[in-house]
Amino acid sequence: MSTSTHPFTPEEIMAFLDGELTADRAQSLSTHIEQCSECQQTAESFRSTSRKTSAWVVSVPTSLAGSAIATRAERGTSKFAFAGLNEILFRKRGWIPALALAVGFFAFVVMLSNRASMRMAEAPSAVMLKRVEPLEERQYRGVDTATVGAGGGGDAGDRVLYRKPQAGLAMSRTLPDSAKQLRAQASEPHLAEPMIARTVSLSIVVKDFDASRAALDMILVRHNGYAAELNVATPQGAARALQGSLRIPAPQLVAAIAELKALGRVEAETQNGEEVTQQHADLVARLKNSRETEQRLQDVLRTRTGKVKDVLEVEEEIARVRGEIEQMEAEQQNLEHRVSFATIDLKLAEEYKAQLTSPAPSAGMQLRNAIVNGFRNASESLLGIILFFAEAGPTLLLWLAILFIPARLLWRRYQRAYATSSSSLGA
Amino acid sequence: MNETPTNQASAGENAGAAPASAASDEQLMLAFSKGSSEAFSELFSRYKQPVYGFFRRRISDPAHAEELTQETFLVLLRAAARYERRALFRTYLYAIGFKILQAHRRKAAFRATFFGQSNSIPDPFKTDATESGLWVRHAVGKLDGMDREILLLREFEQLSYAEIADLLQLPVNTVRSRLFRARTALRNLLEPPAEPLAKDAPQPSAQKKERT
Repeated sequence: MSTSTHPFTPEEIMAFLDGELTADRAQSLSTHIEQCSECQQTAESFRSTSRKTSAWVVSVPTSLAGSAIATRAERGTSKFAFAGLNEILFRKRGWIPALALAVGFFAFVVMLSNRASMRMAEAPSAVMLKRVEPLEERQYRGVDTATVGAGGGGDAGDRVLYRKPQAGLAMSRTLPDSAKQLRAQASEPHLAEPMIARTVSLSIVVKDFDASRAALDMILVRHNGYAAELNVATPQGAARALQGSLRIPAPQLVAAIAELKALGRVEAETQNGEEVTQQHADLVARLKNSRETEQRLQDVLRTRTGKVKDVLEVEEEIARVRGEIEQMEAEQQNLEHRVSFATIDLKLAEEYKAQLTSPAPSAGMQLRNAIVNGFRNASESLLGIILFFAEAGPTLLLWLAILFIPARLLWRRYQRAYATSSSSLGA
Repeated sequence: MNETPTNQASAGENAGAAPASAASDEQLMLAFSKGSSEAFSELFSRYKQPVYGFFRRRISDPAHAEELTQETFLVLLRAAARYERRALFRTYLYAIGFKILQAHRRKAAFRATFFGQSNSIPDPFKTDATESGLWVRHAVGKLDGMDREILLLREFEQLSYAEIADLLQLPVNTVRSRLFRARTALRNLLEPPAEPLAKDAPQPSAQKKERT
């Protein structure tokens, strides 16, 4: 049958029999088919094929019942383990979440390994830092800083740093007499009692910031303490905050904490006590030995006579021992100071009340700031991504190269198995 | 147009799915989504045979076919609250069934790939097809995969061209041309005009007699 003699193709006849032809076309075909025997034959062949196809009948098993489905629905889960994961991974394009999961896991492993290697690289320097710390403490022994906002709570950016270079002297000048007494007592520690350096951390929210600030000064005076560091921030359009490191004589620590807590609502509190008895005892013993050595050397210098070279050597040795003694004395004083004066790391935050009269930035300025921040965030994100790929990229490429061939083989095998599964027919 | 070959093809299964109540499938589904368990029972009795047939014709293991039939109705049960009357219920149900079938095939392929398990192994003692049914099955089995799927969906599930196109993500014209190709190929396989059929294809008994 050709379209030159027939206005309808066999495909259209099939569509006509299936009821899939448009109404006007179906009408024309219906009229034509009544007159054309060849088209009637074509239509009959389609009908015949369909009749034969209907011989493929499937009978339903008796075990298929609605009650089984209701039971499974009541149970609420699929009979398969990990049904949720199963459904995600085996749905259409389920390989996408599977791949994302694999890449995420891989990136996580790479990050972990990088972090571990960084930690290993940093480990020696960390040890060095730990060793250096006491030296720095000795070096800056008694060097206390006080940072106070300009004008007693001025702008955050306008801070003045007061540093007392010879804090030993400065402190003795500035500390009250009672504090000096306490310090003198502390310099003769009772060795039988444990020596504990106490550190307290307090975070308090206050309603009246100015009053609290004044009360804080009063507390320091009352308990013979002082502020080793004080930092007041008054940002625009936000709550004021005070952060400081207070030194309070150890016996008065409990009372001082109680008074500080009364300033407002305590948000966080931590207390630490580091026992330094052993450290102190060692230091005292070493100091005693060094002094005896110095004494002996001086006796040698006084009583014995010899060559000039020998005398010079003895003097050098005395100078070295003297240096060690001074170093240890400083260390001892610092240790005793830490024991006699507890440290309170205080954070005072004001309960923020929005000011009606506070001048808000103009809409244009806010928009500009938002755009600048947006671009900055976007560029930082982009940079982060680039850095990540620069860091993990070579490793990823290496693993991709290693896994490419087995993955390709597995994929082909999967495709073949899927094709087999799709082409299999039932009864 | 009622002169469709498909009506004849699936007449047997449709007889089993004759509605006991006058309500349409869509009305029953809406009633079920509002909590009527009787509506679900009615839908189940109407469609258990077509849905089982859908799976049974595509999967060799009857136990798996039964399992997937249950899975389909289970999904229907769970998704009842979200049902919207946008298409025929039949189309909706077969769409669920088709997705479950594809997931089953993927799982089977995955198992075969990674665990070396073969796909569904047919149990010869459970084959319930007649001789003519087997003949049709073998003929259908010789068709191209996509053509076969389109033919089965049209002949047995009675889906329209548009519904098949939607289900298989194909243009309607492609569905029509592929269906035509499949039917022509099937006609040639079932009624070889002059040449004998392939050696492994079973011959219809009538033709065998003629040849002898």
